Amino acid sequence: MIDLCDISKIYRVGDEEIHALDRVSMTVAEGEFVGITGPSGSGKSTMMHIIGCLDTADYGTYRLDGQPVEHRSEGDLAVIRNRKIGFIFQSFNLISRMTLEENVELPLIYQGVSPHVRRERVGAALERVGLSNRRKHTPNSISGGQQQRAAIARALVTEPALILADEPTGNLDSKTGESILELFRELNASGKTIVLITHDNHIAGETGRTIRIMDGRIEGTG
Amino acid sequence: MIFQSFKMAWKSISANKPRAFLTMLGIIIGVMSLVVLVSLVTSATNSVTDQIASMGTDMLTVSVMDDKGNPLKQGDLSEIAQDDSIALIAPVSQASGTVKSGTETVSVSIEGTTGAYFQIQGDELASGRLLKTADVENISYVAVLSNEAAVEIYGDANATGRTLTMSGRKYLVVGVLAEDDSMMASFSQNYTVYVPYTVTERLSSAASGVSSFYVAATDAEYIDRAEATVEQALLSRFKNDEDAFFIFNQDTLAETMSSVTNTFSLLLGGIAAISLLVGGIGIMNIMLVSVTERTREIGIRKAIGANKRVILSQFLIEALTICLIGCAIGIALSGLILAVVNLFASDTLTFSFSGSVIIVAVLFSTFIGVAFGIYPARKAAGMHPIDALRYE
Repeated sequence: MIDLCDISKIYRVGDEEIHALDRVSMTVAEGEFVGITGPSGSGKSTMMHIIGCLDTADYGTYRLDGQPVEHRSEGDLAVIRNRKIGFIFQSFNLISRMTLEENVELPLIYQGVSPHVRRERVGAALERVGLSNRRKHTPNSISGGQQQRAAIARALVTEPALILADEPTGNLDSKTGESILELFRELNASGKTIVLITHDNHIAGETGRTIRIMDGRIEGTG
Repeated sequence: MIFQSFKMAWKSISANKPRAFLTMLGIIIGVMSLVVLVSLVTSATNSVTDQIASMGTDMLTVSVMDDKGNPLKQGDLSEIAQDDSIALIAPVSQASGTVKSGTETVSVSIEGTTGAYFQIQGDELASGRLLKTADVENISYVAVLSNEAAVEIYGDANATGRTLTMSGRKYLVVGVLAEDDSMMASFSQNYTVYVPYTVTERLSSAASGVSSFYVAATDAEYIDRAEATVEQALLSRFKNDEDAFFIFNQDTLAETMSSVTNTFSLLLGGIAAISLLVGGIGIMNIMLVSVTERTREIGIRKAIGANKRVILSQFLIEALTICLIGCAIGIALSGLILAVVNLFASDTLTFSFSGSVIIVAVLFSTFIGVAFGIYPARKAAGMHPIDALRYE
């Protein structure tokens, strides 16, 4: 599913070169639930950006779902993000003036799906995360846990190959966080590939496999 | 997809209604001034040119400036009138005089002419009769009064059969004309006394002959031929001197009038267009603020698969929607203003929408929306998704 080979990403700050990622190689198989962990500044955010096709590596190759991703135009990357990846963020990142339904619908609009099919799939995705009765609410009128569920519905609605979650429980209390993790486990059990990025070792421990990053290199897996 | 985009644009605009309205205000005022000003000018022009046309596009007015010591006589006119293209010809000599009305004196304009004059002008009688050929030949002291003159002198229009003392001579009033309700007439008081042409000729100190006359063509189609005939006759009469006389064609007047007013409406339209342009700058300003405010939203949209083109069109359509809604409100308000103006305007003048200015307003608003929306939209589309997502 994910095949990173010798990926490097270098930032220049003044004269200094910072190796955010230094020849990182890793693979994630289909159906896996992988946690990527490391302290802040370790390069895990850069890693997430590259896996999520929000950014491209300076060196190395990356194949997502069998397709090479490097040297793609911005437009191509947008298509890959739209069709293959479902993003879940720490701060939910729902558009506040739109209802949950409209938020979840958005990736399908960008895909060009017909309104009829959109309605059906949005309904199914909200049903799956248990928010059918909140579809007309706006993000501000529901709890953090519910907002994150809506964001998961938005990630699921396109049936992506990969779900990429960046600190999904970071803004939630531990009980709500646990229920979100439970939802991830359910999705994983139904065959979804999930990559979860966190600095919290406890949460990383809940995943099937943990990849530990330190100073732009993979320190170990377990 | 386009419908979807407008729906989305409407949603973002309606999220901050006061701001959207203030942004639109520039466009509303711009469109309103454009539509109202140009409609006013166009309507006024139309009604003036209609009036000119109603005075007859089959008519020529000829003035002789320099008779080379060889003045035109009534007989010369009859000769010119022989041509097939000419139906009627009437000499006119204008003078002014005073009429005693009780203890008051009324200043009147005196027109010395023949019966044909009334036919050319399309004047109708309220009572009595018009000037006859016999009046002209016998140099009779008879007069036909305009309706206003009769009312002013006698207090009512029933003046036929009464006597008129004008500049020391007595005239018999043989007829009174019907009221002239055209707009041209309403511009000035029309105290006119029509007397036989020969009478004014006799009263004037110098026997100057015919210095001006009216010509009616047999049909509006023949007006050019009639003009050529008159011109030819006068040229041969006045030693081929083109400056000796002047032929005035109603058609030419109408054309000149409309070209003047077209320039005028272009000028006013231009000024209004500048205010629209200023409105466009307001839109650009707010769109730039909006793009910055919604940086995070742009990041989210990009992360879930919106490409540059989608973001660009989203913000462009938003700017366009603001412009077009403003344009629609502006046009609606213009209609209201024109309706109010019509309440106070005279009956002969109706102000209505000029169709072409509405098309111009819509096209111009679209242009403004695109021209001033493109820069903020490009700014939004060019954002890097990661930077946009990190924006607080």
